[in-house]
Amino acid sequence: MSASSQTFRLAPKAGLGGEIDRDKPLRFTFNGKSYQGYAGDTLASALLANGVDVVNRSFKYSRPRGVVAAGAEEPNAIVQLGASEAAQVPNVRATQQALYEGLSARGTNGWPDAQRDMMSLVGKFGGPFMPVGFYYKTFKAPASLWMTYEKYIRKAAGLGRAPGESDPDIYDHMNRHCEVLVVGAGPAGLMAALTAAAGGVRVILCDEQETFGGSLRDRDETIDGLPAPEWARQTIERLAAMANVTLLPRTTANGYHDHNFVTLHERRTEHLGDTAPMVDGRRRSRSRLHRVRARHVVLASGAHERPLVYAGNDVPGNLLAGAVSSYIRRYAVMPGRRLVLSVTNDHAYRAALDWQAAGGEVVAIADARANPDGELVERARAAGIRVIAGSAVIEATSDRKGHRVNGARVAAIDIEGFRLSGEAEVLACDTIASSGGYSPVAHLAAHTGIRPVWRDDILGFVPGQAVDPVKGFSVVGGAAGVYALPALLEGAAVKVTQALAADGIHVDASEPPAVESIREGEAIGLYHVPHDKPTMRAPKQFVDLQNDVTAAAIELATIEGFESIEHVKRYTAMGFGTDQGKLGNINGMAIAARCLGQTIPETGTTVFRPNYTPVNFGAIVGRHCKELFEPERYTAMHQWHVAHGAKFEDVGQWKRPWYYPQRVNGKLESMHEAVARECLAVREKVGVLDASTLGKIDIQGPDAREFLGRIYTNGWEKLAVGKARYGLMCKDDGMVMDDGVTTCLGDNHFLMTTTTGGAAAILEWLEIWHQTEWPELEVYFTSVTDHWATMTLTGPEARNLLAELTDVDLDRDSFKFMEWREGVVAGVPARIYRISFTGELSFEINVQANYAMQVWESLFAHGNKYGLTPYGTETMHVLRAEKGFIIVGQDTDGSMTPEDLGMHWCVGYKKPYSWIGKRALTRSDTRREDRKQLVGLKPLEADVVLEEGAQIVFDPKQAIPMRMVGHVTSSYYSPTLERGFALAVVKGGHKRLGERVYLPMADGKTHAAEIVSPIFYDPQGSRQNV
Amino acid sequence: MSKVVQFDPHPAQAAATQSPLHHVAAKPAVGETGVTLTERAFLDHLIVRGEPGVLAGAVEAVLGLELPTQPQRLARNETGSLQWLSPDEWLLIVAGGEGFRLQRELREALGEAHFSIVDVGGGQTLLELSGKHAVEVLMKSTVYDVDPRHFPVGKGVTSVFAKATAVIRRVDESRWELVVRRSFADYCLRWLLDAGEEYGIAHQPTQPAVASHRQTVTDTETVS
Repeated sequence: MSASSQTFRLAPKAGLGGEIDRDKPLRFTFNGKSYQGYAGDTLASALLANGVDVVNRSFKYSRPRGVVAAGAEEPNAIVQLGASEAAQVPNVRATQQALYEGLSARGTNGWPDAQRDMMSLVGKFGGPFMPVGFYYKTFKAPASLWMTYEKYIRKAAGLGRAPGESDPDIYDHMNRHCEVLVVGAGPAGLMAALTAAAGGVRVILCDEQETFGGSLRDRDETIDGLPAPEWARQTIERLAAMANVTLLPRTTANGYHDHNFVTLHERRTEHLGDTAPMVDGRRRSRSRLHRVRARHVVLASGAHERPLVYAGNDVPGNLLAGAVSSYIRRYAVMPGRRLVLSVTNDHAYRAALDWQAAGGEVVAIADARANPDGELVERARAAGIRVIAGSAVIEATSDRKGHRVNGARVAAIDIEGFRLSGEAEVLACDTIASSGGYSPVAHLAAHTGIRPVWRDDILGFVPGQAVDPVKGFSVVGGAAGVYALPALLEGAAVKVTQALAADGIHVDASEPPAVESIREGEAIGLYHVPHDKPTMRAPKQFVDLQNDVTAAAIELATIEGFESIEHVKRYTAMGFGTDQGKLGNINGMAIAARCLGQTIPETGTTVFRPNYTPVNFGAIVGRHCKELFEPERYTAMHQWHVAHGAKFEDVGQWKRPWYYPQRVNGKLESMHEAVARECLAVREKVGVLDASTLGKIDIQGPDAREFLGRIYTNGWEKLAVGKARYGLMCKDDGMVMDDGVTTCLGDNHFLMTTTTGGAAAILEWLEIWHQTEWPELEVYFTSVTDHWATMTLTGPEARNLLAELTDVDLDRDSFKFMEWREGVVAGVPARIYRISFTGELSFEINVQANYAMQVWESLFAHGNKYGLTPYGTETMHVLRAEKGFIIVGQDTDGSMTPEDLGMHWCVGYKKPYSWIGKRALTRSDTRREDRKQLVGLKPLEADVVLEEGAQIVFDPKQAIPMRMVGHVTSSYYSPTLERGFALAVVKGGHKRLGERVYLPMADGKTHAAEIVSPIFYDPQGSRQNV
Repeated sequence: MSKVVQFDPHPAQAAATQSPLHHVAAKPAVGETGVTLTERAFLDHLIVRGEPGVLAGAVEAVLGLELPTQPQRLARNETGSLQWLSPDEWLLIVAGGEGFRLQRELREALGEAHFSIVDVGGGQTLLELSGKHAVEVLMKSTVYDVDPRHFPVGKGVTSVFAKATAVIRRVDESRWELVVRRSFADYCLRWLLDAGEEYGIAHQPTQPAVASHRQTVTDTETVS
């Protein structure tokens, strides 16, 4: 397709199309058809240049829709981007998407495509089926019908789809800090950034458009003697050269969060291609979320032009007046031939002047004001343009298919009376541009909870004043309702200067640039153009194009009793979704206000929420995905475990060996087989566990012992140097929170161990109690979890094996159970603890982690003849459960006291000083005898392994709902006992030993089990004391 | 037995040691090198806790360093570096094998005062980032403000690092150090290599230049 297909592209001329490069033609496809545009085009400008009128079908009524705007406020031209399945991106605004070679896009609505929509052929499916309040009404009754409707609605409507394949691109985050963040690089934003930059502080300036400059790109005025676009270019160059300024084009400030935290979404490579190109063989992110923490946020987000609400205002060919100027001036695209302009203000006259200057025919300007008299009005009259005062376009007429405007019905109107005051005249045209004034973009300010406030003088809502000036937030330019260039530039400079002064930063206020100003007449408020028929019977007058909300729908909502604007919003869907009410909200509120007979301020606005425009999921996730999704913590022996085929279990963030399946007769063991083998190896020979993940806290100080006594439930005053003791910790509610063995290294020196998952929280717990409750105790805590690598050598052969490697006397009488010794193991200094979590003879070897692998491998070098077997957490669980040793968090759930666990021996009520949980443990509730108590369960059928979590009942024959009296907390098959066994909590269980309980399962089976002692193996403890 | 037990973790004879990142191979940058990541493993790390008034004199006498009492300050000399971590907590990093002797000398100098010194050398490692894009790599990794205007040489903070924690410090105009926990080291390294890809990141594993076995000569000299 040749350039000649761009039939709406204007011939080269000074001042036109300054942003396109005619020497760089680009090919692209839209809805499968091939077109050509130029570098610098947006997809929207290129489509308009090619005369593509229909870019989409509307969401609810399936009406043909065309491009309306030139920026983020575009409600219709929302496309699905991507030539390949993996590169699909939904929700892209064609007005924000730069054209690139090979770009492929589709309209998001309409099947098979927007031009030939099946839905419209079968008779506007959505229309009659979906009156206002459709969703609410369908949900109400009968509820089941929703399921039927929903399938059709989803198929027929929607705003794009997610890719069906994995995204080849990467996305990332960048944390930024600055003194001044300026959102929007229009005239006010540029001025604000210049002023702040002069103060030497760090400035970030972002703008959602491809090019900085905002409205300056379309303005006629001269600034400091330069045409506005040229002044903008030079200012941007100046800013770019400053080391303290960061410029972020293609970057939308999407969310303004607490404490001046603003999220910016930068589209880094979306203008270059479907996927991010490599640079020097390196990947770079397709888009980036900048997480900015700013001292001051300057909102220079400008204003959105309000379209007028008249019948047929959604037919392609209806545009915003400002967008017409933008397309002509920026891209040399005239989106039609014959224009009718309908306005309420002077500013919008530019569209007609630009249209005429570019060679188009301006049929007429319908001005709602009785006596328009500004400078631009004079220019229009002088140019011979017909200005029809006191009138408006009341209806756009179109071809039969509704694909393009073919005329405008213009009539004199009585705004106060909301009626026509004269006969309608039909003007033939192909384009209607409208302007009902300007709405400051108050979205970001509203994110912080600041309600917009109505200003009659500018006929718009502006961001409210932050109550606390320290908040560091100011609004400048169009966002503050200041539209005239001189006032806007000066205001921006003053506000930034004041903001910085509050921080003690002085900026030399340079002279504001000299601006040629244009005298503008007063605007008039017009939010809904009357029609010759009543609103309910007039052709559709759209308020919110994206959500297909009409003026009639809002009127109906008020008739049906919805008075709060928030309710009207939800009833009609106005301002929903990705649109967030950019174009329609103010008109909609004004219509609601009129119907309710109240003022706009009385009606108020709805609240705008983040995000301002959609942010892709990739940018939200950043690099926190796939192998970087979550930290994996490794022990010093991790690579050995990997090399030896360990399966890993996630314990917190740690990767712990779960079991080590061996290849037996060419077949890899199942978990059940591996665990059985590992269990028997420990019970009969010797096993070794990597226990490095247990939390370890070094405690020093003269009051260390006293502190332990207050933190633990049991006593510590008599623990001698060289000895270790098991301890239980309760929260202040008396419930068990952690356990572990603590060792007395010296009189003032202890080593506490905690559960793997509890390590960090327990250190905090100790610090909190020390710092807030007992600061007088002289004690310090330091985490040494990662410093020590721990190897648990356990089993009858443990002593024989260790003796080959150490100088420590391991004799049972000189190194007793629950003692520790220092020595050398495999040439490495070590601390050895004789503590046991398996019930077997055990030695825990601790060495500095950098030396751990040497020791671990030495154990295996000597271990073969003893049958040394590595075992994982699953075997550890079975072995400890056979001994009735609890795991906090598995056998407890935050509602178990030490006594519930049968650990009365571990509670020291007679300790001289109170301890955490003591008071709670003396409450009547914690003394109840029918509390759920830890017991063992022996299934009557030996091969049954009860389900963990299974509920327990006393009487299996009772009617449902049964009275549940407890549940299984741990359950395994024991290869040693050759049967299934479980730990469980049962109401009053300690007094029910020998009784039978039942476990009714979901599949209808009921298991029977006997309540027994939780210690299934070696109750005398003779095996660990050898 | 004394009231607090000191433990020299290093073997009398050189033994096989493994840094937390021993399993990750060196990797040159793709294209021009914009950032270099080097592990400085096998240093001795000690956590020193106490009131500044208690510690300052002994620290000055034994280490020749002024105890940094201003938050987020880092003091350095040829013996090592001493970083403020919290109002009563400092991180001392010295050459591998020196930690035990210095701890003993500090303990002797501090006498009966209330303090704590804990060897954590096996539990953490030090990564050095250098090159013109080091700051950008850090900006992608931590929410802390690492802009050189806000983060002068000699500053050190403990902050969020990706989804882990790191001590981040600036040792000179172009070099940054990260102290990361052993168990998180692999994750942090992978994160850094990923974050640095666009800038051309090179990874140099540790050079075990320092023999980390026990410094027997000084040991016998100071045993009393």
